Amino acid sequence: MKRSRMVLAALLAGVVALAVAGAGLASRGSTPFKVAWIYVGPHNDGGWSQAHDNGRLYVQKMLGSKVQTTYKENIAVGAQFNQTVASLAAQGYKLIFATSYGYVTPTVAAKYPNVMFEQATGTLVAKNVSEYFGSAEDTIFLSGMAAGAAAKCDTIGFVVAYPIPEVIRHANAFTLGAQLMHPGVKVKLVWTNSWFDPAKEKKAAQSLVAAGACVLGQNVDSPATGQYAESQGIPWVGYDSDSSKFAPKSWLTASVYNWGIYYLKRVKEAMAGTWKPGFYYGSINDGFTKLAPYGPSVTAATKAKIAKYEKMIENHTFYEFTGPLHDQSGKLRVAKGVKMQVLKGGTNSLYGMNWLVQGVIGSPKG
Amino acid sequence: MNNSLLVVLIASGVAYGTPLLYAALGELLAERSGVLNLGVEGMMLGGAVMGFWAVERVHAGTAITLAAALGIAALVGALLASIHAFLVITLRASQIVCGLTLTIFAGAVGLSSYLGNGLNLADIPARKTFNPVFPGGMQRLPVVGPIVFGQNILVYLSWLCVIAIWLYLSRTRPGLNVRAVGESPAAADTMGINVTAYRYAHTLAGGAFAGIAGATITLALTPQWVNGITGGAGWIAIALVIFSFWRPELCLVGAYFFGALQALAPQLQARNISLGPTVLWTNALPYVMTILVLVVVSSGTARRRLGAPAALGNPYVREEH
Amino acid sequence: MHVAVERRLRQPRWLAVVVPLGSIAFAFFVAALVLLATGIDPLSTYRQLFDAGFIQSGSLDQTLITTTPLAFMGLAAAAAFRVKLYNIGAEGQMYMGAIFGSAAGLYLGGRGGAAPLPIAAMVVAGCAGGCVWALIPGVLKAFFRTNEILTSLLLNYVAGLILTYLIFESESYWRETKGFNATVFPTGKPLPPSSVWPGWTLHAQGGVTVPLGAFLAVLAGVVVWGLHKRTRFGFESQVLGDSERAARYAGVRIRRKILAVMALSGAVAGLGGASQVGDFAHALDGDPNGLQKIGYGYTGIVVAALARYNPFATLLIAFLIGGLQNAGSTLQGPSFPAGLVGVLQGIILFSALGGEILVRYRFRISRRSKGEAASAAEPAS
Repeated sequence: MKRSRMVLAALLAGVVALAVAGAGLASRGSTPFKVAWIYVGPHNDGGWSQAHDNGRLYVQKMLGSKVQTTYKENIAVGAQFNQTVASLAAQGYKLIFATSYGYVTPTVAAKYPNVMFEQATGTLVAKNVSEYFGSAEDTIFLSGMAAGAAAKCDTIGFVVAYPIPEVIRHANAFTLGAQLMHPGVKVKLVWTNSWFDPAKEKKAAQSLVAAGACVLGQNVDSPATGQYAESQGIPWVGYDSDSSKFAPKSWLTASVYNWGIYYLKRVKEAMAGTWKPGFYYGSINDGFTKLAPYGPSVTAATKAKIAKYEKMIENHTFYEFTGPLHDQSGKLRVAKGVKMQVLKGGTNSLYGMNWLVQGVIGSPKG
Repeated sequence: MNNSLLVVLIASGVAYGTPLLYAALGELLAERSGVLNLGVEGMMLGGAVMGFWAVERVHAGTAITLAAALGIAALVGALLASIHAFLVITLRASQIVCGLTLTIFAGAVGLSSYLGNGLNLADIPARKTFNPVFPGGMQRLPVVGPIVFGQNILVYLSWLCVIAIWLYLSRTRPGLNVRAVGESPAAADTMGINVTAYRYAHTLAGGAFAGIAGATITLALTPQWVNGITGGAGWIAIALVIFSFWRPELCLVGAYFFGALQALAPQLQARNISLGPTVLWTNALPYVMTILVLVVVSSGTARRRLGAPAALGNPYVREEH
Repeated sequence: MHVAVERRLRQPRWLAVVVPLGSIAFAFFVAALVLLATGIDPLSTYRQLFDAGFIQSGSLDQTLITTTPLAFMGLAAAAAFRVKLYNIGAEGQMYMGAIFGSAAGLYLGGRGGAAPLPIAAMVVAGCAGGCVWALIPGVLKAFFRTNEILTSLLLNYVAGLILTYLIFESESYWRETKGFNATVFPTGKPLPPSSVWPGWTLHAQGGVTVPLGAFLAVLAGVVVWGLHKRTRFGFESQVLGDSERAARYAGVRIRRKILAVMALSGAVAGLGGASQVGDFAHALDGDPNGLQKIGYGYTGIVVAALARYNPFATLLIAFLIGGLQNAGSTLQGPSFPAGLVGVLQGIILFSALGGEILVRYRFRISRRSKGEAASAAEPAS
């Protein structure tokens, strides 16, 4: 239709005119090292993405004018990620931290051989792709201990997202910790099918309490569970961040990621030219994961015991995923004395674990 | 007994159905005057973010702060609705496309995200929230305790709104006028009723209700601001208007029914009631039920469309009649 | 003083050009005010947008990635909206097309380069998937008079749940089960090499890949235009859109038209879904943080509305909006709020919608009172 074509021609002409009349070229000058972060959610979600952004801010603070950092948020896995990488590469970003599974594919890595990619929670390692994650399960285990100690009944509620190995091993770690402090306690799961959805999480929390839970925990990202716990006066273990401000009385603790330490290390290496791809699995020892400060109701005895186990994990005299471990049907899955590995062992590896330990009520299939 | 599935579901239904009810009442008013506003989701998000903002910025007693927040949420909703009103009433644009555009403009990828992030409203608990009004003892009464006495004031206010709107539409002169405007604007015009003014007024009122609905979510249900926090509630509210036959009292029943449906999935999981691929069908249930009810309602009144304002969706141009 | 509003009997050509131009210019002006109010330089922003969307090296390549699905979604919306059937369900129909198309590609594909059989099967299956999903609201509208806006929209949510279920919550045919990575995180089974859709490289900007889907979208545009302008089906459905009563008197079989239009609209959207699998993802993407997050189906409605439901204009506007979205993620960052892209799109569309009135109606300002003006009204010229 003539009308529309003219409209579009005029539109293009108009924008070109603006371009010509517009400001000068992009600034050149002394080149700070450009590093970018890509988030799957909003940078201020109070959960997963915000923890990464805190790491970015840490790097920016420590390296000042030597780096130029930026972030892109709400980037979908797939084509949108590729587009974002294309524009970052065009703007001269040399190191990209991709903070969600599935972001970095072999295709996109091959397309930008001069860009260094860091992928969180994944498994792809290539010439310019490195993987990073860490044993949050250790600190989740410790936070489970706090939950078990606080439980005055036999059921702890745990709000979870998707039935994938990462979530399952976290749920298992939490349960093992709770059982250590409170033998025989059961952990009941409700799946929300979302990483971050306050309404669904609150409903899940309500259903757990109505079904008899007297402590709540979570492996999802919003503090909605905690707000509900506070309104009911029951203790709460969070995840991903220190959310005590949402539930000052109910707050027990949470497993928190400290991405900044790894980020700083890698950015420095990239700047110095010593960056090499690999598979990094952080732990309490290198500060990758730790416990958030305790809430008012955690007793001194509990704190002491948790500190004791934390030390033992640090010097490797204790590991929560050591056999004997039984699944929900009672079958022995990991033999006595055997320690589960991160990648090796099929469904008995941390990354492949698709079964729930005995004492968890709920289906590992969602 | 208060933890039995039925009681919990009904209590949840009332709580989670309240934003649906407010939004549906607002849309009902707009549609009664003949204006279809599909921008409910966008207006709810606008009210949600600005109501939350108000609570953070207004430093006064609890009651005043919360009242101010509701006022601001209503105002924002009405302002957004005024864009729609101006475009469809004065400029005769397509009501459907305009409404959809309003949702995109004000929604989770637009204005509400822009304001929420720009005003730094993420990751903070609401300073003041709407809490249950009645004392704990009354809340623990069997059955009526959680369902009736365990709710916050917005729930009780919504009941008053239902009664007020019912009275307005069926017993007052302006209410009868607006029904005339929605059925046959030409006839109403001839009778001296100012069609334009009525449509503007009711569309703006619809926006105000939607704004309050949004504030219900960020100040009562899940007291924090998150981008896109309404999660599709606006659409369910629009559907509610249809299968309540444009009657406020049926809006209430429908809203609570859907609120309960949304709470069903986690309740079944927590009680280990597993029926096949539970995850899939319990999550899909609210949507499928909405469709089914829409079908039943529409086909039953196929010939006469009882209740639907006859002039719904059409611009009124005096000179053409 | 009285302002009378009269419908124009004839729409002068110059007006049909000036008004859309004017409303787009108005939109950019208002958006510039919004940007200024946020402390962002609008001229620099517009230049960067244009640059990142179309000019700089690699930008056309990336823009086409967004343009291709937007073209399909826009055409799907245009085909239906044009005859007043408001199919908001293109998003869900796209998911269904992706599911069906992926199944065909997985089943029929094998080794070697792109082969015509599996790809043709994916095209057909994709159309079928979208078609079936669109026929649900179609049937409900045709036989039960149920409002298609709500039914098609609600089915989007259901389709999304099904898509996530197939990959995230079940061991379905579409889910990859071999290899260690498959146990770590749920992903779709990758298409065999002969099912991967080819692309053609233009030698510009360092190599622009035009995917097969882009060609298919243009073809779909031609088909939709041809059906509408050159067939009886097109004529009858237009009559139905204008007035159901007139259509009934003219002997148009209303139910069939509704079904046919919804089927066409859904088929185009479904083809877009198959394109997502064949051109870009090369597997079924069930990740809720993936395809379902972007909302191509809804943006497609914006594209169609801006194009006034004309198929060729839809293709062009899809290209422009595709560039805008692509550029939007370039500009997005700590100093540029993410919500702004939606706000800009909204302003542009509002302006275009508002400008419509000047094309369809005229305003006459007269000094006489209401009654005199009405009786003295001349026929619109």
